[in-house]
Amino acid sequence: MNALAEIDDLHVSFGGVAAANGVSFTVERSELLALIGANGAGKTTALRMVAGILRPDRGRVLFDDRDVTALPAHARVRLGLGFTHQIVRPFYSFSTIENVMLAAGYARTASPWKAITSRSRMAARDKARAILERFGLGAQAERSPRALPLGQRKRLEVARAIALDPKLLLLDEPLAGLSSAEATTMADLIRTLSGQGITVVLVEHNLGEVLRVADRLVVLDAGKVMAQGAPSDVMARDDVRQAYTGVV
Amino acid sequence: MLFVELVVQGLVYGCMYAMMAVGLTLVYGLLRILHIAHAGVFALGAYMTVTVANATGSLALGFLVATVVSAIAGIAIYRLAYQPILHHAAFVPMVVSIGLFIVMQEAFRLIFGAYGIAFDKNPWYVAHVNLVGINLTYVEIAMVIMSVVLLVGFGLFAGLTRAGIGWRATVTDPHMATSFGVDPVRVRYVNFLFGSALAGIAGGLVGLLNNYVEPTMGGAVSYKALAIVVLGGLGSVRGTLIASLVLGVVEAFGAIYLANIFDRDAIGFLFLIVVLMVRPQGLLGRG
Amino acid sequence: MSAYIASLVSVIGINLILALSLNIITGFCGQVSLGHAAFYGLGAYMAAYLAKLGAPLPVTLLAGTAMAGAIGIVVGLTSLRVRHDFLAVTTMGIGFVLLGFVRKQKWLGGELGISGIPGPGLDAVSYALLIVAFAAAVLAFSLWIKQSWMGFTFDAVADDEDAARTVGVNVSTYKLVAFGIGTALAGTAGGLYIYFARIILPDTFDFVQSIAILTMVVIGGTGSVWGVFASTVVLTLLPEVSRAAADYRLLIFGAMLMLVMRFSPGGLAGLLRKPA
Repeated sequence: MNALAEIDDLHVSFGGVAAANGVSFTVERSELLALIGANGAGKTTALRMVAGILRPDRGRVLFDDRDVTALPAHARVRLGLGFTHQIVRPFYSFSTIENVMLAAGYARTASPWKAITSRSRMAARDKARAILERFGLGAQAERSPRALPLGQRKRLEVARAIALDPKLLLLDEPLAGLSSAEATTMADLIRTLSGQGITVVLVEHNLGEVLRVADRLVVLDAGKVMAQGAPSDVMARDDVRQAYTGVV
Repeated sequence: MLFVELVVQGLVYGCMYAMMAVGLTLVYGLLRILHIAHAGVFALGAYMTVTVANATGSLALGFLVATVVSAIAGIAIYRLAYQPILHHAAFVPMVVSIGLFIVMQEAFRLIFGAYGIAFDKNPWYVAHVNLVGINLTYVEIAMVIMSVVLLVGFGLFAGLTRAGIGWRATVTDPHMATSFGVDPVRVRYVNFLFGSALAGIAGGLVGLLNNYVEPTMGGAVSYKALAIVVLGGLGSVRGTLIASLVLGVVEAFGAIYLANIFDRDAIGFLFLIVVLMVRPQGLLGRG
Repeated sequence: MSAYIASLVSVIGINLILALSLNIITGFCGQVSLGHAAFYGLGAYMAAYLAKLGAPLPVTLLAGTAMAGAIGIVVGLTSLRVRHDFLAVTTMGIGFVLLGFVRKQKWLGGELGISGIPGPGLDAVSYALLIVAFAAAVLAFSLWIKQSWMGFTFDAVADDEDAARTVGVNVSTYKLVAFGIGTALAGTAGGLYIYFARIILPDTFDFVQSIAILTMVVIGGTGSVWGVFASTVVLTLLPEVSRAAADYRLLIFGAMLMLVMRFSPGGLAGLLRKPA
């Protein structure tokens, strides 16, 4: 399989409502893929199933030639999958740099035995500092995430995921809640990450930025994939425009 | 025959547990606090009932005073102990509640003595009635009637009155309720008032039932009431009621059939743990 | 060292092991446990049973530790299933269930407990020093954990489990490890206790005792090793310092719990820490 990940016929229902009704698509290596669709189309649900936070009722998730459907989220992280939440979840009792350090030291947290026999946090601190610099958060290192504005918290969320050295980065609405200037900066940042070889899948509502940076779009509608392809091709389709705006 | 007797006895105890547990569920549903000090209010009600009844010779007056004092105590507890620390993690109010319960229990011991007080006049203790071949003392009947009346009354209040509907709205969605003009603080006061009054009455009834009021009496009932709140699911009053009755019956049977393996207090918790393993959200909770 | 001092030191040492071990579960890993005394009891009963059969001290201690730890891991498994807010009641329930079981078992002495436990083979002073050695080891172990990556990971689990999972932490395993270590050490305390007391009663390991242990952790500052050390020593000495205080011991515990949580939820350690 050449694709990095394959999402195969995922189904999941909540209280009788099908949030995913046979979602299937592939993720090619090094591409920047955007999952778009109207509200309630099932984008975040699909992403969460790929991350392992949500168990599908039916279907498979394949990652790097492995069937990971039965693997819990933390195990998928160890295989090279990074995830950021729509509503950011930093460790509020940690400083900004400590948030990234914990992720950077993933080798040391792999098992309790490794954890209890590892004491030095130097290497993790250095790696975390470098990442924070890349993300423009160097000056915030010792501050609590509580003191950071939303834009910086969202960058911290991504920085933390990057510290895990992921092959595939799953971003759930990274631009939500940001001003247009911040959104552009964030989108550029994501584009840069993608350019460095990390495969990125993002769920987004902000079509303007998405069309600017994505390599490929997958459009979801009522829990199914309705269209996929290059952004200009996809957005030119009547059925896609109808699903989004209700107008042809 | 034994079967029916056990079921009836279980239901009677279940009614008593329900009166305690409803107050706990109301607080948990609204504030996510495990109000362990509720047991202290229960014992307070018992002490008020017995001291006033013994001093004045009137049981009715005893219950009246117990109801009023317990309700006030409940509101005071909310205002002084919980309200200032609601913004902390859930662990903090729970520990405050535990501390308060211990303080109340010790206060009762130091003020009223460790050995307990009995009712001077307790005709209901012995007088009993024979219904379909089962002996029920007047107290047990009173307990069932009282709890049914109070709980049905509350159900009507919650379902039909403006204040009641406001209360239900606040429990479900505090922000939404506020935008409809419901005062969340008033709702909390109502919660504590009603729940604590129930506990105080329950305390008086249990004191009558055993003809004995002592400092640690709140403990056993309260721990079971906590188990019931968990069993019944997330702050669900209906779940709590059903869980109370189920627990009462399970305990009645368990006390007989498991008598050689576990003591009575353990049975309720054993049931709780088994249920939680199968259904972590409780009997009626949503997943 | 007089016999009285030796006895005092022994009690402090045992309380230290109990409080520090609960601190690992509740303070480090954020898992509320209101049933810690039950594991103290499990260790004590296991050790006492074997001691009366003639087993030597190292064996009984080891058995008590292992028994408590094993059941502790089982309890930890229940903690994985249950909602966070229900964990307190569940652990409380486990305490009642374990004790309720022991109370009814004739072969464990029922309500009368186990008496006539043989001595440790050491005089009172030497035994007190042995207990101190164990307490010091537990203290050092706690500090080690705190400064290691395990402490770092526990902090994350206590802060936000889901976020911990997204950075690759196997939250379930770490919770089980916390429970296992904490309860096993409580069992060790139990094993040490039996040779000191020579007789054990079920009442010694009840819910009130669990709360007393929790009080030491909370007042010291949940998670702070030195805070817990300080509060344990002070709270154990309190009834000794004042005879009058002895009758008010529980009242004082309760009042302290309330006041500390109300005004300084981080305990004594919280008061000394500079604001974030």
